[in-house]
Amino acid sequence: MEDFLYFFTFQDPSITWVVMGITLLGIGSAYVGTFSFLDKKALLGDAISHAVLPGICLGFVLAGEKDPRYIVTGAFLSGALATFLSSWLKQNTKLSEDSIIASILSVFFGIGIVALTAIQKSGNPEVAGLNSFIFGNAIGIAEADLFLYGGLSLAIMLVLSLFLKEFRLMVFDPGFGKAIGFPMKGIRFVFNVLLILAVVIGIQAIGVVLMAALLITPGAAARFWTDRLQPLLLLAAFFSILSGILGTYISFVLPQMPTGPWVVVFLSLIALLSFIFSPKSGLIRRFLARRSYLNKTHRDHLMKALFKAKEAKRELLTLEEIRALYPFHKKEIEHSLQVLTKQGLVLQDPQGVRLSPQGTSDAMRIVRLHRLWEVYLNESMNIAPDHVHESAEQMEHLLTPELEALLEQRLNYPTLDPHQETIPRESHDA
Amino acid sequence: MITQVPHPVLEVHDLTVSYDQQPVLWNVDLSLPAGQLIGILGPNGAGKSTLIKSIMGLIPPTSGYIKIFDKALPEVRSRISYVPQRESVDWNFPASVLDVVVMGTYGKLGLFRRPGKKEVQVAQEALEQVGMTAFANRQISELSGGQQQRVFIARALAQQADLYLMDEPFAGVDMATETAIFQLLQDMARAGKTVLVVHHDIHSAMNFFEWVIMLNLHLVASGPKDKVMTEELLRKTYGGKLNLLTQVTDLIRKQDFNPLKS
Repeated sequence: MEDFLYFFTFQDPSITWVVMGITLLGIGSAYVGTFSFLDKKALLGDAISHAVLPGICLGFVLAGEKDPRYIVTGAFLSGALATFLSSWLKQNTKLSEDSIIASILSVFFGIGIVALTAIQKSGNPEVAGLNSFIFGNAIGIAEADLFLYGGLSLAIMLVLSLFLKEFRLMVFDPGFGKAIGFPMKGIRFVFNVLLILAVVIGIQAIGVVLMAALLITPGAAARFWTDRLQPLLLLAAFFSILSGILGTYISFVLPQMPTGPWVVVFLSLIALLSFIFSPKSGLIRRFLARRSYLNKTHRDHLMKALFKAKEAKRELLTLEEIRALYPFHKKEIEHSLQVLTKQGLVLQDPQGVRLSPQGTSDAMRIVRLHRLWEVYLNESMNIAPDHVHESAEQMEHLLTPELEALLEQRLNYPTLDPHQETIPRESHDA
Repeated sequence: MITQVPHPVLEVHDLTVSYDQQPVLWNVDLSLPAGQLIGILGPNGAGKSTLIKSIMGLIPPTSGYIKIFDKALPEVRSRISYVPQRESVDWNFPASVLDVVVMGTYGKLGLFRRPGKKEVQVAQEALEQVGMTAFANRQISELSGGQQQRVFIARALAQQADLYLMDEPFAGVDMATETAIFQLLQDMARAGKTVLVVHHDIHSAMNFFEWVIMLNLHLVASGPKDKVMTEELLRKTYGGKLNLLTQVTDLIRKQDFNPLKS
């Protein structure tokens, strides 16, 4: 708790700096990453982030110490080389994009690890911090470095807001962009530069292995909540900042903990929660929709049974008769009975259960839809009368009043279904 | 049966186009009059979309050239409007109908300038023309195929061009929408615009187009509907594969270079 207060009250100026840095980094990478996610180029970000490792090592060797300017430049160049190679290979070979990206990722990362090991064996005392580039260590960032990373983040945000319209076109319809004369290749080039920069600014805090997660996951999680680009970008940035700060906090409290993996843990948690709770496509939402549909089918079946009894000149069914009709759905039928009674569609008295006038009309509609659909399948789709029931059993819950009217019109108000049962209509309709 | 016109809106001169060295259009040479509704007919793989894309500069020609309003494409780009195939984009992209239609104004805006009130107004007028005003704020993934098509046409209208190139605007569109869109295109032609449409259905082509281009890897016909919609030319266009040409195409594809490139 003390740590928590100490961290989040920002008494320590170095914590303030780190949090500001991670915030800027989060916004920058979430913005670029969201576009790359929408463009279905998530893997490219992963390849680039692994591919910057040889450049980091080169920068270190050239500078002889952990000079961020050298390291950032090296990382950028090596990421740029990987990006260029991947598009060159795609244009000039018949290899598929995923194999190109997989090879580039592993080749560059392999070289990087070899170089890193060689440097570690060289006995340079500065080597200690180099490992943090693999999994990231936000707390270890020096104040001076933060200006570099933060400045680059700001540059990314600036360019991105300038190119917002162009990037939107690049992702949604590059062909149209070319047709109206926009330099789509140049726009793609600028975007790739931003993508590499977004990776580079994250290597110190998040590490090369997991940087792709910080690019892609915020946008993917935010996509569950919104259908508009601007809110999507803002929300992605928010998710990214939130997990960035939480990951940094963990690194602060438990100094052995690398920041990157923890940021990814929090990001994944946010993505998982979005997947479960999203109001339009979340698991819970879909579960509830399905359950409410199933409940409706049970109610519909019960009303149908009562209506058919009525057709057979029986005004009511006893509770035992109803239960006997649905031996596998006892609980559901019990529940349906309660709901229908409350809605006033069904009347219960000691003798049994009967339909109210409104209930009769509703039940009649279900039976009518069922039989109309059977006629339609039989007449318009040439399906044999003994094959139409199953489908009608499903469609009776689904067909809308508009479709009902269309069916009636198409079939010219038939009186009998393929099983010679009357298609019931209200007397004033006839 | 190829009718050439004086002062054409569009002149395609000896155009040959290849994909990865496989020729898909052979020596197309045609000229088109202004202010007409023009259909491009032909079987699958006849090169209809390729012709449109070459005119739009999306595919470089292997040989030949194209002149629009008697000029090269870059000089007159703002007077041309393009409707790509509906399937060419991802409709799950987070955008509203209005967002997409506003893209039609990007060309005139140029780089880096954000669309403002004026652009939104142009887009809204375009939406009204295609009867989609009520859908302006709808997410594009929620639209039906016909509605998506109308959004694309609205985007083209928002370009306020003189020549319209439309790639299969009737694919996946119901009859009522098809008729409505055709009427809109006819109105545009009457207002002096030239509308070039890649189309599948011969029956509706008969009813709506004034000028017809028939393609089957090469140009079979180009001329006023009454002159070219003959049984003989239709058979030439749709009747079976062009065995010899297909074999030549295969031969060229197997070379290590493209021998057609000038």
